[in-house]
Amino acid sequence: MLNLIKKEIALCLHPTAFIFLAFAALVFVPNYPYEVIFFFSCLSVFFCCMMTRENGDISFSCALPVKKEHIPLAKILVTIGLQCIILLLVGIIGAVKGAVLPAEQYVNQAGISANLALVGNGAILLGVFNLIFFPRYFKSPDKIGVPFVIGAIVVFLLIGVFIVLRWVTPLYSITLNGLNSVNTGAKAAALIIGMAIYAIMSTISCKLSMRRLQEYDT
Amino acid sequence: MNALEVKELKKVYPEFTLDKVSFCVQQGHISGLIGRNGAGKSTTIKGILRLINAEGRVSAFGKDFLKEEMAVKQMIGYVGGGFRYYPMNTLVAIRKAYAPFYPTWNQSKYEKFLSQFELIESKKVKELSEGMKVKFALALALSHGAKLLIMDEPTSGLDPLSREEFCDIILQLVREEGVSVLFSTHITSDLMRIADDIVYISQGKILAACPLKELLDQYKLAHFSSLADATAANAIGVKSVKEGYEGLLPHDTQRLNGVTFADATIDNIIVHLEKANEEKRYAESD
Repeated sequence: MLNLIKKEIALCLHPTAFIFLAFAALVFVPNYPYEVIFFFSCLSVFFCCMMTRENGDISFSCALPVKKEHIPLAKILVTIGLQCIILLLVGIIGAVKGAVLPAEQYVNQAGISANLALVGNGAILLGVFNLIFFPRYFKSPDKIGVPFVIGAIVVFLLIGVFIVLRWVTPLYSITLNGLNSVNTGAKAAALIIGMAIYAIMSTISCKLSMRRLQEYDT
Repeated sequence: MNALEVKELKKVYPEFTLDKVSFCVQQGHISGLIGRNGAGKSTTIKGILRLINAEGRVSAFGKDFLKEEMAVKQMIGYVGGGFRYYPMNTLVAIRKAYAPFYPTWNQSKYEKFLSQFELIESKKVKELSEGMKVKFALALALSHGAKLLIMDEPTSGLDPLSREEFCDIILQLVREEGVSVLFSTHITSDLMRIADDIVYISQGKILAACPLKELLDQYKLAHFSSLADATAANAIGVKSVKEGYEGLLPHDTQRLNGVTFADATIDNIIVHLEKANEEKRYAESD
């Protein structure tokens, strides 16, 4: 498995996988729907899968002394690694913003502040994307467009839902909004719930993807 | 013990069926998998390597592929028609990702092959000629001590000189390293040069799996002046040629008036057997 992950990193990662990590700094942009940052992470998955297809990576990997079902597992584990990095970066950079520009944290007109609850929201978005995209992709790894479009539409709908919640519910507009130091317990709970949903969805995605590739003829 | 045993390999597609294909590759032998385009050569190879979900049993050196997949894959070197993977990556990057999968990887052997094949590791795959790609695939496959080489049309797209060179390399590997080889091709002149055995597949079915000489000794090519003569002689797969008609006859056929005989080549055998099959299918469909 470790060799497959190393191969994945060495031969299949598109440069955008790293470039889009830097987009975590978008939390410093005023009045921006920060959940969109996580969509860029989804976009990098799309580019990596394009690269996988153009490189004939699935066929190459299937001929290696590995179990076929480990191929999607390695790919998803690498993606999870990158997604955890962007979640961590958004959390850290959001905290820095809270420390440097505390007033800014309350004036985002386009969504929730860059805080722990945002990271929880991001985790839910990424988990949903993983669940939608990967099992469809591994059903037929030559067809990346349709799984991605479906995943992207659902992600943007969810982003819309989070933005609406920010304005219509006191939970999102007051309790989960603003600095991490205010209502820390609630924000930490939102983060933990988000991460739990992410873990569950990604695990289901892994299992389904492993089964789907097993059935796929390379 | 055979290097490879394939038993009743079956794969059903909506428009094509690989129908219970069975054959063996003996240790130290070169077996050629032949047949026309779409006959099922690549499907057979993919089925052997479990790249597709096929029914049937495959074993290499006595080890069942399904039960001991990892061990069997360690013994197999697969060359899928050159090296079509990772065109933008350098050979060194690919080797670094590939080698750790094989505990038996022999770096000095790999470097020996690089130098023998005149490959430069800093080059990208897309910068290699088709012949060089085949050589790189061979270098990777052989440097982990593969005892069985399975190659899917490795000589397609190669010029005659490169094909000659490829055949020389394969012969050298069999003689010096003792590897066994199964390779599919529709370039039968390559087989005449190096193959010990032939596996002939048509419409997803094995028509012959025997030593090359045995297949060649089964038939002779007969040239007839008229179609009536050919029909009277029960020639197989009669077809019109520039002057008269040609068909196959069993090798022990006695001399016939007005009929000239020649040794049948693999090409002749394939062409006329395919023609006979086609006629049979046409008659059945009527």
